[in-house]
Amino acid sequence: MPTRRFILLSATAGLAVMGLPPSPARAQSPDQATAFIEQTVTALAGTVNGPGSVADKQKKLQVIIDRTVDVDGVARFCLGRFWRSALPAQQKEYLDLFHRVLMLNITGKVGEYQGVSFEIGKASARDGGILVDSTVNRPGTPPSKVDWLVGTETGAPRIIDVIAEGTSLRLTQRSDYAAYLARNNNSVQALIDALRQQASQQG
Amino acid sequence: MRRLPRSFRLPALPPLASPWLAAAVVLAVSLAGCASRPPANDPDAVAEYNETNDPMEPTNRVFYAVNDGLDMVILRPLAVGYKYVVPAVVRSHTHNVLANLSMPVALFNDILSARPRRAGDSLMRLLVNSTVGVAGAFDVATGWGWPAHEADGGITLAMWGLPEGPFLFLPVLGPSSPRDAGGFAGDIAMDPLTWVGQGDVVSALGYTRYAMNAIDTRARVLDDLDKIKAQALDPYATIRSLYRQHRQSQIDDTRSDDRATVPAWFIQPQRP
Repeated sequence: MPTRRFILLSATAGLAVMGLPPSPARAQSPDQATAFIEQTVTALAGTVNGPGSVADKQKKLQVIIDRTVDVDGVARFCLGRFWRSALPAQQKEYLDLFHRVLMLNITGKVGEYQGVSFEIGKASARDGGILVDSTVNRPGTPPSKVDWLVGTETGAPRIIDVIAEGTSLRLTQRSDYAAYLARNNNSVQALIDALRQQASQQG
Repeated sequence: MRRLPRSFRLPALPPLASPWLAAAVVLAVSLAGCASRPPANDPDAVAEYNETNDPMEPTNRVFYAVNDGLDMVILRPLAVGYKYVVPAVVRSHTHNVLANLSMPVALFNDILSARPRRAGDSLMRLLVNSTVGVAGAFDVATGWGWPAHEADGGITLAMWGLPEGPFLFLPVLGPSSPRDAGGFAGDIAMDPLTWVGQGDVVSALGYTRYAMNAIDTRARVLDDLDKIKAQALDPYATIRSLYRQHRQSQIDDTRSDDRATVPAWFIQPQRP
């Protein structure tokens, strides 16, 4: 009978659809990561080399960094095992201060990077994301190797680490914070106070 | 973007005393100042202590403070003055001459690390830059297909499988490890310029070379070190981390350099 056949067919189709594996929304291909990095460095170079005062360029760079870098993820990584033992208020304050200090450090010397250009190399899979190679050319200095680690924990591709000449930004920062905490009785509050002082000194 | 030091290699200068005296000092003081191990009931802290691998941290920090003081008072002003007075072109050529003088050591280390293409590059760089490049001042060899690379005793020992050992911050030499310090001593022994010639003029030239190496290296990392000191909460720990990462990156580069020894104009062997 047509009705029964229709019900059977639609039920079968429904079962087939349910049986499909979930679409790999989290996985990303090296090509996607490379395209993402190309967009990012184009925006960065365009801002640094473009018109406007230093303060304007700094603001624009901050917007780009917020959009492309997983700052909170890097902050949590840099605090390491002390993230879980911190109070929620401390966690929030730490994230805010880390964000400010990172922005100050990155945008502090915008003028030095006038004339910068990037060449994107190949991408390879690493645990945690895709590593995209690039070379940074600044006039007057030899070219340097900078690799970008792109992850998708937050859904969209974001930069989770920058590796300059073989040294990882977040690993170095984590060592710095871990050593500071070890010398200050593992007190996250002491770290927050130090970061606040840094932010006010350089800001 | 935040800039980390482009190259954080050991400056090629001799200690103010001989290497043996430096080693003796380190040994003596290391017996005095060891870091306290965290209690076993805190596994995270123990894991971190093991990973940091710096059991002589108090001693190292003392040497870091001493080095930093000497640097602030002597070496950094010299480097700043050098950069201010000497034009960039002359500084670049000076660096090339100094690098060329270190080529024999690089060549021996390439051979000992079993990197035949690198050894070929070093040999050709030495020959070409010394002759066509006017005693090394002009780096012609890079353009002719023999690029520069880093090779020293520490990397060679790592290629042989020697583990790094605990972190050492040596007076004057800076961040190091038992492996790298041993490699450095080996480099001085392997350097033909250490043994060639006698007399006052030769000694003076030798010390000039060491001094110029120190000033040249310091001038090249001037901005980067200033940035670290300004931005790091714990500059000692930051330098320790950067040094180790950079070292590992150099060793990985050396290990992964397996270019075929067949020249490019010959029929290339087929990879199976």
